[in-house]
Amino acid sequence: MKKKLVSMLLAAAMCVTAFAGCGSSTGDDAKGDDTAKEDKEEKEEEVQEEVSAGSDTVVGADDASTVLKWAIWDAKTATYWEAVAQAYVDKNPEVRIEMTDLGSADYQTVLSTELSGSGSDFDVVTIKDVPGYATLVSKGVLEPLGDRIEADGVDLSLYNGMTDQVTVDGELYELPFRNDFWVLYYNKDLFDDAGVAYPTNDMTLEQYDELARAVAKEGFGDEQVYGSHYHTWRSAVQLFGVLDGQHTVLDGNYDFTKPYYEMVKKQEEDGICRSYVDTNASQLHYSAAFSEGNTATMNMGTWFISTLIPSLASGEYDSELCGNWGIVKYPHPEGVEAGTTIGQLTSLAIPTVSDQKDAAWDFIKFAGGEEGAAAVAATGAFPAVMSDKVIEQLASMEGFPTDEASKEALQTSNVYLEAPYASNVAEINTILDTYHKDIMNGDISIDDGIQKMNEEVSGLK
Amino acid sequence: MENSAELKKSRKARDRKRALVAYSFIAPNFIGFAVFTLVPIVCAFALGFLKWDGNNPIQFAGLENFKKLSGDSMFWASLKNTIIYCIGTVPLTMIASLALAIILNQKIKARGIFRTVAFFPYVASLVAITAVWAMIFHPSKGPVNAVLYYVFHMEELPNWFGKDLILLTLILFSMWKYMGYYMVIYLAGLQGISAELYEAASLDGAGTWQKFRYVTWPQLRPTTFFVVVMLTINCFKVYDIAIMLAGGADGRLGTSSTVLVYYIYQKAFVEWDLGYSSAIAMVLFLLVLIITLIQFRGNAKYENS
Repeated sequence: MKKKLVSMLLAAAMCVTAFAGCGSSTGDDAKGDDTAKEDKEEKEEEVQEEVSAGSDTVVGADDASTVLKWAIWDAKTATYWEAVAQAYVDKNPEVRIEMTDLGSADYQTVLSTELSGSGSDFDVVTIKDVPGYATLVSKGVLEPLGDRIEADGVDLSLYNGMTDQVTVDGELYELPFRNDFWVLYYNKDLFDDAGVAYPTNDMTLEQYDELARAVAKEGFGDEQVYGSHYHTWRSAVQLFGVLDGQHTVLDGNYDFTKPYYEMVKKQEEDGICRSYVDTNASQLHYSAAFSEGNTATMNMGTWFISTLIPSLASGEYDSELCGNWGIVKYPHPEGVEAGTTIGQLTSLAIPTVSDQKDAAWDFIKFAGGEEGAAAVAATGAFPAVMSDKVIEQLASMEGFPTDEASKEALQTSNVYLEAPYASNVAEINTILDTYHKDIMNGDISIDDGIQKMNEEVSGLK
Repeated sequence: MENSAELKKSRKARDRKRALVAYSFIAPNFIGFAVFTLVPIVCAFALGFLKWDGNNPIQFAGLENFKKLSGDSMFWASLKNTIIYCIGTVPLTMIASLALAIILNQKIKARGIFRTVAFFPYVASLVAITAVWAMIFHPSKGPVNAVLYYVFHMEELPNWFGKDLILLTLILFSMWKYMGYYMVIYLAGLQGISAELYEAASLDGAGTWQKFRYVTWPQLRPTTFFVVVMLTINCFKVYDIAIMLAGGADGRLGTSSTVLVYYIYQKAFVEWDLGYSSAIAMVLFLLVLIITLIQFRGNAKYENS
């Protein structure tokens, strides 16, 4: 009898423990002050800890009547999130903004999983790229903003044509928040050493290729100087092709990308840049490539500026190696206006499940507008609205190169998004990424790779 | 008469109670399995015939998803790579772990240390050791290629992450990582073999090879069966190793290194084509099922003969 009782108790205990794991998630709704406080305490303890995905940053009063939940990434390394939230809360003290960090690497995947079904409690979500936007739009989880934009008279012309590239059947589901564009970074010391003139703000790709070849130096170990560096992203190579404004990645025929693959592969062969195989196998980050001090030029987005300046200031990057840097406008194909470049749009949107859409819209309007832009620019990041004032603000930042050319490089003429909107842009991207990798890895010839891209993208329905 | 009927009845009641206790022990695990594994698996089967992106209304697709498979070159590349990977990894890992087990079953000095060393890759963090492997096999800076260049004066250095060798790199890595684990299973098997059998074999004049051939190998058959089945299933599930070793900084796989589970993930959670990805998952399931059934059939045949 006693034995039986014990065994029954044991079984019951096991049942309870088995369910304890699933039960804890129901407490999520009550998440609020406690979690925030805990998080703050945690932060104080682990200042040097890596950013942990899913952690919260809170701005605003504890007793605020409206609480907006905002999905973001890299809360600890990127300061503009908090800056914008703070600026908004200063103006609207009745609002508290809780930011949840979903991590940068697979942000869009995590976000679209969060928004599937109706379990999400976000009021504002950040959209990282156009494929991610397309996915969410076709899932029908984003609130259309057209009526609100019209009602409040939001001036879309401030966004320099960007919003046209993400308009879906005449409707807009996101409002631009930040806009990074690609520029050419260069290391002045390496150019001085080689006795080669600095890059200029109006270079054709041919001139750029010559320049990279002129400044490159073969050598052993520290002696080696790379004239250029291409990160493993497809955008770093293939997208020179869209600068002419005639082509986009949605074309279905990618023959126009061939000259750029050839230029880069030739540079690789001649030892002008690191080979893709090496970069990929070492998982070399572009910031490491540039800060090693043996990379003369590197094409990269303006987001790198807000990494470069603080890292040099803190001594993480050796200023002996890469402290003397500058930027110029993106090199362009013959016959294309200088200042034409590719852009990466970060936008804000409202999920359909949010129950505070009006409050969320008010925040989005602020963050994407001129006031938000000023707050973003104050942290060294690039807002979507690039007025002269903002450019002035960015160029006068502590640590920004002092030469006129670098300042002028911030003026763009045409900015083409890495991918404009199409309902199947995510699928197209997967195909292009696959064969980009095959071509660059040397698994397949340039011609064969492009042919595969053509075949498979046109095979999509 | 009456007495025995009562006895039967009470025995029945006792049996039922016993069964109840047993079930109550199984229940926590089984309920978890049913809710989080069984139901989703059944749903995945249904999803293969549907078109769904996780939010919009579900549409019936019939055999559409399966028809699409035949013309999808990424799918065929994934299938081919997965199968080659399995064919390479399963026998190599099995042989390596058996050899290790036999060596480390001898009475040699510091046996415990060697066993720990062999087991270590299995417990080490995958992320850390793949980073080390990527360094060792680095095409231009890695020590492997340095040896090939300086010692063997090889002119054309191999790219261990290129089209021709990436699968071999993955196979070698998996063998090294998993052989320690299967070695432990083999060790247990070896220690279960009665010493009398070896003694009898010695008396009959059997040499080392014959002892292995006629005593060790047949006695280890159940162990080998278990090892091969587990290895095969695990190999078909490969994903993390491929991403970590071949994915580079952005975790993307090209046609030379893509595997089925990667493609399933890509289709499901990047492109949100849940129906199509379930169809691919079903192909994977059938593949594993058929191979496992063949293995079971083979084992049963052997057992009966």
